[in-house]
Amino acid sequence: CFSSSAAAHIGVGISGQEGIQAVLASDYSFSQFRFLQRLLLVHGRWSYLRMCRFLCYFFYKNFAFTMVHFWFGFFCGFSAQTVYDQYFITLYNIVYTSLPVLAMGLFDQDVPEQRSLEYPKLYEPGQLNLLFNKREFFICIAQGIYTSVVLFFIPYGVLSHATQSNGVPLADYQTFAVTTATALVIVVSVQIALDTGYWTAINHFFIWGSLGTYFTILFAMHSSILFNIFPKQFHFLGSAHNTLGQPVVWLTIALATVICIAPVLAFRFLKLDLKPQLSDTVRYTQLVLQKKQKPCGRVGRGVGGG
Amino acid sequence: MGKKQAGTGPLSRRPDNSAFKQQRLPAWSPSLTANTVLPTFYILSLVCLLLGIWLLITVENTHELKVDYTNAGTCEECFNLRKSPNDSTTACTCTVSFHVPTTFPGDVFFYYGLRNFHQNLRRYMDSRDDAQMVGRKNNLKTPSSYCAPFDYDADRNPIAPCGAVANSMFNDSLTVMYNLMDGSKIQVPLYRKGIAWYTDKNVKFRNPSTNNTFPLQQAFEGTTRPLYWQRPVYELDDTDSNNNGFINDDLIVWMREAAFPNFKKLYGVLNRAQGPFTEGLPAGNYTLSINYNFPVEPFRGRKELVISTVTWFGGQNYFLPIAYLVTSGLILVMAVVLTTVYVKVGKRGKNMEE
Repeated sequence: CFSSSAAAHIGVGISGQEGIQAVLASDYSFSQFRFLQRLLLVHGRWSYLRMCRFLCYFFYKNFAFTMVHFWFGFFCGFSAQTVYDQYFITLYNIVYTSLPVLAMGLFDQDVPEQRSLEYPKLYEPGQLNLLFNKREFFICIAQGIYTSVVLFFIPYGVLSHATQSNGVPLADYQTFAVTTATALVIVVSVQIALDTGYWTAINHFFIWGSLGTYFTILFAMHSSILFNIFPKQFHFLGSAHNTLGQPVVWLTIALATVICIAPVLAFRFLKLDLKPQLSDTVRYTQLVLQKKQKPCGRVGRGVGGG
Repeated sequence: MGKKQAGTGPLSRRPDNSAFKQQRLPAWSPSLTANTVLPTFYILSLVCLLLGIWLLITVENTHELKVDYTNAGTCEECFNLRKSPNDSTTACTCTVSFHVPTTFPGDVFFYYGLRNFHQNLRRYMDSRDDAQMVGRKNNLKTPSSYCAPFDYDADRNPIAPCGAVANSMFNDSLTVMYNLMDGSKIQVPLYRKGIAWYTDKNVKFRNPSTNNTFPLQQAFEGTTRPLYWQRPVYELDDTDSNNNGFINDDLIVWMREAAFPNFKKLYGVLNRAQGPFTEGLPAGNYTLSINYNFPVEPFRGRKELVISTVTWFGGQNYFLPIAYLVTSGLILVMAVVLTTVYVKVGKRGKNMEE
């Protein structure tokens, strides 16, 4: 049995009367053999699903964020000038986009546990490596690159000739930086909202909270208080207020969001329509069941249904 | 439920039967069904169409005119003069005639435009000292090392304001003359102040304090002017102490770096107090007279005067309305394709209910 553990993906030990040696050597252990069913069909499957969604989103949001600099290079003489404020770059991955994807990675469920046990065939995508392979990886990257193209060229097209209603031009670097950063945070937040299949209160709190935190920190860092203490560090004084008070900027952000998200929606809908996986059909059945049970006054969460 | 038990007993190490730990939290499981996705696409398309049309109508009400004066009119010789730095102190003026086809009603804004000038280069953007420009005495005398080589002159005098951004300040003076019917010309009056951001003018740029006891020149004692400037910073506007030194509007406008190589910056606003300008800029022939100082040939740039009216949406900016209209069309196409596929290839129920 030691050679089989070299070939396996995980080791499971059953603790029992023969001793706990297997438990010490294994990744997971429990006391009864029948618990293996839940470990694989419920927890293992969910874990695979969460991992794959997390990975795809992580690559996507970082490509969307970073590739904007590549496009900007063509316009700034390839001098490696960043598009965003230095602090935004620091805080993007740590504060603004980390918690929503963490919540998705912890809580996401495509079908409830009862269904997972009822349809063991749902375990197949994990065995066949369907949810995150080379093809899926390249699709995530491609989506990130497409998003970066939209996030650079739409603000570029609008702001390079835009002015405020008082005549002052909006083509300055700081306005462009704030516009692009805000559009980025909003687009990737909408994307995680699309990716999250199971919205608990925690998911809501993290997603809306991250957006709220972004705007709070943005206005705080562009305030005169911080500028007066460290003028060279917080030299974006007044940008947030000036930029986000312009209707042009919000129209630009809205347009960028629509252009980024509409194809994603279309592709996902087409995929669901033409090639639904078993998990999609089970999920749909669940939805129909919940709708039927609603008039009875209680929202059944699939407990004992079927 | 489980915590009530003491540390003994057969089920003492069982995890809590709480919703959180057993992953039974109440949750919403959204699903992309046809009756949410398809209407969304049609509504999105409609909203984009309406926005696009509305913005297009708004932009149609603006007027814009550009006069490229790099080597137009009599500016050819000034252009050639400025090719080399040897004669940079020699003054050169030139004139360009242009024609305004229709009256520009309401407030009219005058900009100077530059093409192919990369204010967005990384080392250029780093080459400034915001602490010096906010009037701190230490930074005035010891500018940041980021400003090198524009921080000290050959005699180790600190430069105020230091850095490449300040050094390359746009120094053409533009005067627009209106040709009246009788052949005479009157100058188009412009407000040359109030053209910068409020936070820039009042917080970000401050002169070193003088306590109102001594003149501004004394506050800048020990510093010298940037290498390319003809006058020191405390002589940028002798007439108005609120526009002199670091808080000079033209300096502030220039210091706000543009994001892209082709940009325009506000130069002035039409003063509509009197004369033929009360309703705006009348149609007719004009002459642009330039004190030509800024050399653009070394980087193959162009200079232009831009005259524009604005609406709530800003100046003449066709990109956004057209982008909205194009997006609306594409989303409509997507919606139609999705509907066709949904209806023809497989009703969701059919594929789903097996």
